[in-house]
Amino acid sequence: MSASALTKITIEHLRGSVVPFSLPFEKGKRLSVIYGENGTGKSTICDAFDFIGNGRVGSLENRGLGKTAKYWQSIGKKASDLSVTLETVSADTNKSDACRATVGKGEVVTTPAILRPKVEVLRRSQILSLIEAKPGDRYATISRFIDVSGIEVSESTLRDLIRELSSSREVAVARVQENLDTIVQFWEAAGKIGKDHMAWAEAEAKRDPDTASGELTALGGLQNALNRLADYPAQLIVATQALRAAQEAVRSAKALADDSAKTIATDAGETMGILEAASGYFHRHPTPATCPLCESAEKVEGLGQRIKERLELFSALQAAQQQQRVADKQVQQSIGQLEVLRNNAKRHAQEFENARKGFNWSKDIELPASPAPEDISALDEWLKQIGHLPAQWKQVETARQDRKQFLATLKAAVKTLQDNFKAQKELDTLLPKLSKALEAVEDERRQFTDDVLSKIAGEVGRIYEIVHPGEGLNKISLELDPNRRSSLEIAAEFCGQAGAPPQAYFSDSHLDTLGLCVFLALAALDGPEKTILVLDDILASVDEPHVERLIEMLYAEAVKFRHCVITTHYRPWKQKLRWGWLKNGQCQFIELTRWTNTNGLTLIKSVPDAERLRTLLAEASPDPQLVCAKAGVILEAALDFLTQLYECSCPRRQGGLYTLGDLLPCINKKLRQSLLVEVMTKDAAGATAYKAVSLTSIIEELHRIAQVRNVFGCHFNEFSFELLDSDAIGFGQNVLALIQTLADPEAGWPRSDKSGKYWANSGETRRLYPLQQPT
Amino acid sequence: MDTPSQKLATKIIARLVSEKLVDAESGKKLLPKLAAGGLRAEDWRLPIEMSEKKEAKS
Repeated sequence: MSASALTKITIEHLRGSVVPFSLPFEKGKRLSVIYGENGTGKSTICDAFDFIGNGRVGSLENRGLGKTAKYWQSIGKKASDLSVTLETVSADTNKSDACRATVGKGEVVTTPAILRPKVEVLRRSQILSLIEAKPGDRYATISRFIDVSGIEVSESTLRDLIRELSSSREVAVARVQENLDTIVQFWEAAGKIGKDHMAWAEAEAKRDPDTASGELTALGGLQNALNRLADYPAQLIVATQALRAAQEAVRSAKALADDSAKTIATDAGETMGILEAASGYFHRHPTPATCPLCESAEKVEGLGQRIKERLELFSALQAAQQQQRVADKQVQQSIGQLEVLRNNAKRHAQEFENARKGFNWSKDIELPASPAPEDISALDEWLKQIGHLPAQWKQVETARQDRKQFLATLKAAVKTLQDNFKAQKELDTLLPKLSKALEAVEDERRQFTDDVLSKIAGEVGRIYEIVHPGEGLNKISLELDPNRRSSLEIAAEFCGQAGAPPQAYFSDSHLDTLGLCVFLALAALDGPEKTILVLDDILASVDEPHVERLIEMLYAEAVKFRHCVITTHYRPWKQKLRWGWLKNGQCQFIELTRWTNTNGLTLIKSVPDAERLRTLLAEASPDPQLVCAKAGVILEAALDFLTQLYECSCPRRQGGLYTLGDLLPCINKKLRQSLLVEVMTKDAAGATAYKAVSLTSIIEELHRIAQVRNVFGCHFNEFSFELLDSDAIGFGQNVLALIQTLADPEAGWPRSDKSGKYWANSGETRRLYPLQQPT
Repeated sequence: MDTPSQKLATKIIARLVSEKLVDAESGKKLLPKLAAGGLRAEDWRLPIEMSEKKEAKS
């Protein structure tokens, strides 16, 4: 955003600017009043500022056109033909810059973006928008000044944290009480040992719950060793029975084999071998010619069959022998198994003894009176003797486990209590701090919002009082609705009653002024020195008695802004500026003439009447009639001013129209001789001084030749034939001298008596004496 | 130009520091997040706890 002075705005094909139009701004003047009748293009100039500053054309909005971009350009032109260029001069570097806005892809593009001006536009149609808006919309308009939603989110996080920690604290307090109850119960169950429950619990909690773990492990080992021994007596019986059965089987098989052998020859064994070999031979040679053993052919027929029959006689013996071999083997196996059993029992008995001796048992644990026997046959008796011990050991183990569990529970209770107590104490310290921080955030937020709203309301009231002094309507308030988010109420004091909605009580004209004041106050709040303020025809609805004060107010407020552009079709403003009734030192007056579709916007120069008179007099051959006509009007204005200022006696007449003949005699001799103006002069270095100029001789001379005005300037008159042109020119020159002495074309007429000594104009470039008519 | 949230955040941090709820260094770190609405619960808690501990030590 740039804050440099404006030098020129050039508008090409934006709405009414059918041909390129340039509006130059006078150096050193930050207020431009653009006067023009309706339809001369005033709003187009406002639109140009809106276009380059805000990327929109506000005058087309809310007219039921929908998207307005297609209507931005002049009839018959394309969007690409449209541009607005604002030329500025940097106050620091005195260098000229230009910023140009065009339309690209349906959006306004400003280059360079850094020079895009900040523009605030208020149009007549919008003047009541803020006043009559819904509270939510009103809030939206000023939210840029009071929107602290970021802070509200952070504030909400802090509030949630406090709520959460408060809840945690309550839980901690409950936990402390709950665990305290548990500890007291334990303490009472333990017989209320020690000074108090906590001292006892803390001491107990320090004990190692695993102290009994070694003993429990050892006891488990002892029980396992005993369990391993417990099965041996039964296993011994089974093994012994198996051996006996195997031995019996051997005996039976041997007896059977013996019985079979008795039926067969002594060498039956050898014979059976020969017969088995022969059987194999005859199987391969079923029909031999001779006996393979004796090579005799005798009885060779059926020899194979006979050998087979003899071998069958030997098979019973073979089976008995096989059964005996198996039984023998079984006996050997049973003997081996019994030996293994004995050895295992011995080893396990030793292991039991090792387990028994390997730990320093508590006294409440009963152990076997004698060592476990290594002889398996004595084990059964020994086991019967200690048969009650496993149950007893189980009881001991349960007691030990219960103690361990108790210590763990107590320890956890003490720890939970201590932890929660600590957490509670920490939160007792932290929570008040967090609450205090939240209070500070809430306070500051409310204060900030109230300050901003109060500042805006105060500023609105101040500006409003300038326009409506002493009406008591300046006590404006802006308040956020505490029950509704983002809702802003506007109120005023009316007939002594505060909080009255102005929409309900104010006249339309008062509401218009209020709307304008709100707009000005808001615009001035946000970097006014960088803001171009554009007021489009906002005087139209203000009633006559307030217009002058409104104009004065606008003059006063405009100096805060980078530049202020005011458009108006209020004709008296033009006339008052022409006649210097309004100071225009800071104001550039611009007049637009009729718009045509071929020429577009056209500027005309409004020349003050004194300047016109000077021009007429400066001509090589001045026209006496024109000089007298113009000088007469100016003299009437000057005398009207003086007679009112000094309250001179004048004939009272209906309509209040006075001629020179009425006014000149009203300036009586004493007053004429007293009238003196100190005119401020500046030397080349800018140093100021006052030069005293008496009006006496000027007015007396005018008094003398005043009739030339009527003779030359008003009517066709035969007397004019006899008068000298020099009298007419002299009349004009004296009038010019009077008006130049009395009024400053930039700073206006001396109307202020604040000094108490003289009448002064703005900047005191003229000091008119005396203050009152001499008596 | 500062947003209203940034302006208010500056005032809030100044007050928190003046009331010794946070120290100046922590306040400086909190400021942008406070304005942007980005403060989490621990962002509030830690600096206030730190300041409390500092105060308790002194």
